[in-house]
Amino acid sequence: MAAVGLQTHIWANNTRSILLLAGFPVMLVGVIFGIQLILMGFGFLPSSGGTLEQDIAYAGTMLAGTIPLAVVVALIWFAIAWFGNQAIMDGLTGARKVARKDSPELYNLLENLAISRGLKTPTLRIIDSDSLNAFASGLREGQYSVTVTRGLMDALDRDEMEAVLAHELTHVINKDVRTMVIASIFAGIISVIAQLVVRGMFYVRPGGRNKNAGPLILIGFAVAAVGYALAIVIRLMLSRTREFVADAGSVELTRNPDAMISALRKVSGRSKLEAPDDVQGMFLDNERMGFTDALFATHPPIEKRIAALIRFAGGRDPGPWEGETLGGPGTSVPVSG
Amino acid sequence: MITLIVIAVIVVVLIFVVMGAYNKLVALDQKADQSFADIDVQLKQRNDLIPNLVETVKGYAAHEQGTLNAVTQARAAAAGATTVDQKVQADNMLTGALGRLFAVAEAYPDLKANTNFLELQRELSDIENKLAAARRFFNNAVAEFNAVRAQFPTVLFAGMFGFGTEKPFFAVDATDRAAMTAAPPSVKF
Repeated sequence: MAAVGLQTHIWANNTRSILLLAGFPVMLVGVIFGIQLILMGFGFLPSSGGTLEQDIAYAGTMLAGTIPLAVVVALIWFAIAWFGNQAIMDGLTGARKVARKDSPELYNLLENLAISRGLKTPTLRIIDSDSLNAFASGLREGQYSVTVTRGLMDALDRDEMEAVLAHELTHVINKDVRTMVIASIFAGIISVIAQLVVRGMFYVRPGGRNKNAGPLILIGFAVAAVGYALAIVIRLMLSRTREFVADAGSVELTRNPDAMISALRKVSGRSKLEAPDDVQGMFLDNERMGFTDALFATHPPIEKRIAALIRFAGGRDPGPWEGETLGGPGTSVPVSG
Repeated sequence: MITLIVIAVIVVVLIFVVMGAYNKLVALDQKADQSFADIDVQLKQRNDLIPNLVETVKGYAAHEQGTLNAVTQARAAAAGATTVDQKVQADNMLTGALGRLFAVAEAYPDLKANTNFLELQRELSDIENKLAAARRFFNNAVAEFNAVRAQFPTVLFAGMFGFGTEKPFFAVDATDRAAMTAAPPSVKF
């Protein structure tokens, strides 16, 4: 059912997110299946001794054994990667914490939004960068944090800043950081397995060639490659739906779509900030220059985001912002201090 | 045997469709009502600012008693309004009274320079903007509810669930609209 307003737009994107997330286990199974075919072709796995179709069917039945093993391995991997991620996130939070007395207006904006939703106010942080950007971080209750750049604070007026804070707060409410870390761990598992096998293929000496070796290996390779590529694409599509939902959530919190649109206009093209991939996914905007945009972007293009806000939230577009900001591309996220 | 299974599947699917439609309507209905109540939040905030404003103006323009009284009375009426119609009427009167108060204040340069007055004026202007935003959001929520209610196939069972009628938008009263479109308000210096 097509979206006709803010709520239906949010529901549509949440449904898309769930379907995309569900795609990961499917990709994992696909990659494992492809690997089985390859191993079978090389003779490391027993084959059915019959035609190509019979071999493939046999590999299918073998899944009953390999899937539980894969689940166990994936869970262990998840646990390790999860805690590793926590450590990285904690290290990142070297951006300066802001107490109420340092920036009372900004702190109050965030606090009012949090109160209106019955949340504990996330920690507010500032990065000394001239770029206009912001991000939400934190995987657990008590760790949630919203970070803004100095450039953003200087360029945006009160309503626009409120819209940006509301956008980041929506990411916190929806636990998007956690979702994207899960997606990225999944993608990591699939990617490592696929790459290991492909590299392994070049170094291995086949033992006892299977008579369907050629096609088996080719099909297996194709399936694994598609699984690998799709895992990346799914992760990015997921990130984009979360951004749409965050924009809509900002309007829900502030009732003001115009402020979100004009904030996006100001941020557009001025948001370059260095940070690890996972954090970049959580930026207010993350423009990728160049050819690979459409499929490999973590964020929908600004024009699309504004169009969605106009269409579903009743916003109005003031047009591109001609203002000046100081300095060039942002500095890196500091690790300590 | 097969036909039984097919029928069972169709029935289950239908149940889910109807359930989904009902739950959607309930959620959107609540959202629309919530957005209406949120307008009241802004109205109350505006109401709370007014005593300060009246006191500040009194300090400089004590003999503008008539205008000040009009504002105070309109505020009391707005606070006491219960039905929607009363609220809308009281709100209109308050807006009018405030407008007259600011027009009158133009004649008092000391008042205009007073920082308290300027701050209050700024805050009131901000709340008016927020009121407008709240009303637009309300219209958005109402439009969404109406659209989903009237879409196929939800429209088939909307009546059954008590969602048979459309919700009205925030609308200006007919006489007010005529007055507003007739001539722009004059600003005299």
